Amino acid sequence: MSYFVRVVHAISRICGVVAAAMILASVLIVCELVFVRYVLNASTVWQTETVIFLMVGATLIGLPYVQLIRGHINVDLLPIYLSRKPRKVLFVGCILVQAVACTAIGYFAFELFLESVHGGWRSASVWGPPLWIPYITMPLGFGLLVLQYIADLVTMRDTDDPFAPPGSSMVAATPSGAVEPAIMKGKG
Amino acid sequence: MDPLVMSAVVGIVTIVVLFSGVSVGFGLMIVSMLFILSAEGMYGMAVLPEVLFSKLDSFALLSIPMFILMGAAVASSRAGADLYALLERWLTRVPGGLVVSNLGACALFSSMSGSSPATCAAIGKMGIPEMIKRGYPKGVAAGSIAAGGTLGILIPPSVTMIVYGIATETSIGRLFLAGVLPGLMLTGLFMAWAIYSTWRQTEGVLTSRVKYTLKQRFELVPRILPFLLVIVGVLFALYGGVATPSETAAVGALLCILLAVVIYRMWHAKAIWHMFRDSTKESVMILIIIGASGLFSYMLSSLYITQAIAEWIIEMELNPWMLMVWVNVFLLCAGFFLPPVAVILMAAPILLPIILEAGFDPYWFAVVLTINMEIGLITPPVGLNLYVINGIAPDIRLQTILWGSLPYVGCMVLAILLLCLFPGIATWLPEFLMGPAI
Repeated sequence: MSYFVRVVHAISRICGVVAAAMILASVLIVCELVFVRYVLNASTVWQTETVIFLMVGATLIGLPYVQLIRGHINVDLLPIYLSRKPRKVLFVGCILVQAVACTAIGYFAFELFLESVHGGWRSASVWGPPLWIPYITMPLGFGLLVLQYIADLVTMRDTDDPFAPPGSSMVAATPSGAVEPAIMKGKG
Repeated sequence: MDPLVMSAVVGIVTIVVLFSGVSVGFGLMIVSMLFILSAEGMYGMAVLPEVLFSKLDSFALLSIPMFILMGAAVASSRAGADLYALLERWLTRVPGGLVVSNLGACALFSSMSGSSPATCAAIGKMGIPEMIKRGYPKGVAAGSIAAGGTLGILIPPSVTMIVYGIATETSIGRLFLAGVLPGLMLTGLFMAWAIYSTWRQTEGVLTSRVKYTLKQRFELVPRILPFLLVIVGVLFALYGGVATPSETAAVGALLCILLAVVIYRMWHAKAIWHMFRDSTKESVMILIIIGASGLFSYMLSSLYITQAIAEWIIEMELNPWMLMVWVNVFLLCAGFFLPPVAVILMAAPILLPIILEAGFDPYWFAVVLTINMEIGLITPPVGLNLYVINGIAPDIRLQTILWGSLPYVGCMVLAILLLCLFPGIATWLPEFLMGPAI
């Protein structure tokens, strides 16, 4: 595996850990909110917005990691019926289209972030945190996702099925015991 | 371009893009960007990040990662195995008891984990080999678990229902309640069919000769009961109006994690990471579809497509039940290919005004829609549960699993018909406990 791919994979894994930590932080903060609001009967100021921003951040920063483990579900009907070579060609097409879309939305999200910094935008709540903090997760998440896409294109020649998670066959059991088929459709 | 022609073009492009193999979330994003760019140019594109952010900027949405984490804590522990063993020990003397206990375990576990594939995997891994060992036909064994797993998106707490609630701005607590009786009815229909098919194929309902002592029957109760109490507590707090879905789900998630750590000794960093990794993966995947669907519905509304379709259908002056038949056919077809979350997010904003105009109840419709989505989970071409069962029981052919599952599709269609004839099955409980919907 090339140095570039190893670095990108490491960054994507860090993104996964950061996203998971953000979700854990949201759980703890909401529990604190419940305690303050319902046990102490006090009003809450910062908690609601913080957990929303953490959730939005976890979603966007988690994007490259979920791409690394092929967690973004797709309709796999066409890829599954194609032989090895056309499937790889299709994979390249899909990745390129997604990369272009993510670059475009990441670019406009970066402009939004810059505007929020220059304009000193703040949320309209009583607490009023600066909006650049949640906004920065958009260009960051989409930018790192594009990097992961490039790494996927580089590693594609080493795999039989680039649509499947790295190192898996058609159906792979996850460490938690759940089974994850390559033909993913949707988790209820 | 006429909005109706435009809607046909958007529909075709969406199908082509989604079927090409791109991720569902990014597929919706690509289609939205394409049409916004063609209609409004770069100016339209510049507002898309703000639209995406505003769709995710919601406290109600937080209940999704929280419920997923709660489910992941249950699914990554041995709670599924214990629940299966518990029900098997209690129902062992009931005729066809094993298949009944399997379906009961599926219904209970799906409400604990909220995930169809996790239910299939957790209960099926023990249930299928045991049923085959005791002489149940392979099709019955595999089909009952595949169908039982689908109950996860109907029986509360259900992520699918939360997504519907957010997309249609309806009460999540009321939606959960609306799913209870139909969920029980569907479980009953599944059990009835399972017993009948076992009886037909083995010329007599199988009863187990295994006997369990009272101690064996009770020894697993202390491990399962705390999880069930947390779920009941969460639902109680929700229906009592004590706290919002996100708040109850977060407390429930923390309690389920603590229970998994204490009861199943999952204190190793690796086990905890796997729990968080699985839930993060699922949450990110669902939330980005929600964000992208927000872009999609923004594009539809900017191009007047939502309004044009709604007006067109209303002008057709269809008989309300004829309309419901077509809506069901549409949902069924969409459910064959797309994940429930994507179908709900794409279809609900367009369909709900039409459904309300025709005089149907939005909570009743949520249940009908969810059962349609359940059918998609066990039907080809991409029925997720079929492949999950295929993964955990590789010696059963996919064809056998499919044929075993098909009668359960019949049960679901029957459930939809019963719901159409007796809408009270879905609407009575929420109205009884929470009063009439405003």
